[in-house]
Amino acid sequence: MEDIVVRSISRLIVPFIQLYGLYVIFHGHLSPGGGFAGGAIVASSMILYGISFNLEAGSRKLSHDVSSLLESGGALWYLLVGLIGILLGSNFLANKIAGVNLGTPGQLLSSGIIFLLALGIGAKVASTMITLFYSLSGGESSDGNRT
Amino acid sequence: MEINPLIGVGILLVIAYVFFYLPQSQIRQILVFIILFMIGYALVITVAEMPAFGALDTPAYNLVAARYIEGTVGETGALNVIAAIITDYRAFDTLGEATVLFVAIAAAVSNLKTH
Repeated sequence: MEDIVVRSISRLIVPFIQLYGLYVIFHGHLSPGGGFAGGAIVASSMILYGISFNLEAGSRKLSHDVSSLLESGGALWYLLVGLIGILLGSNFLANKIAGVNLGTPGQLLSSGIIFLLALGIGAKVASTMITLFYSLSGGESSDGNRT
Repeated sequence: MEINPLIGVGILLVIAYVFFYLPQSQIRQILVFIILFMIGYALVITVAEMPAFGALDTPAYNLVAARYIEGTVGETGALNVIAAIITDYRAFDTLGEATVLFVAIAAAVSNLKTH
């Protein structure tokens, strides 16, 4: 789409959407939201960028490799955080029982593994939505050719 | 209400016969209408049996909900009860959910690559 109004406004608003998405992810244990909601907000900013500019510009900003790295990294991060519980001598994904320091309720760095898991879920949901959008709209194929 | 299992099996067989094997005819249309009316009637009386919205004696309003509301801050340190449930009490379920996302995107990308 070659519209100067849409381009200018989306260029202006995309950083704020991303900041809000990161806020929702990082404050998942304090306020409504969390990994799923925040990841969807972050992904929607990239989808808005891809729609208002073109798909090539969007995939230059966040390439397929980075996206798939986030995808697998989110899942592996979730598993690694879950293994903390086993290393501390308790169950998989254990939080207070394993003796993780919970901190003061209400602080940003509190609630043990909940905060860490939300980061993994956020990265995973965001990269899933972005990859699906760019794959379905045919912006990027496996060997870099536009289809 | 106690229902004999044999009656249930019989009803299912009749439904399967009507829907899958009976040829297109006037009788088939009447039978399909009767069966759909019975299913719809059962669904409507089930909905009518449900507790009113916000009623205190709802079956879902039990010890588990009270435990989550009272124990979340002490047991997980999170103020958001929903985040505490999905990433602490039910963290293993969320791991499965993330796996579903992963498999879905892997299937989509591997199929779309050929285009």
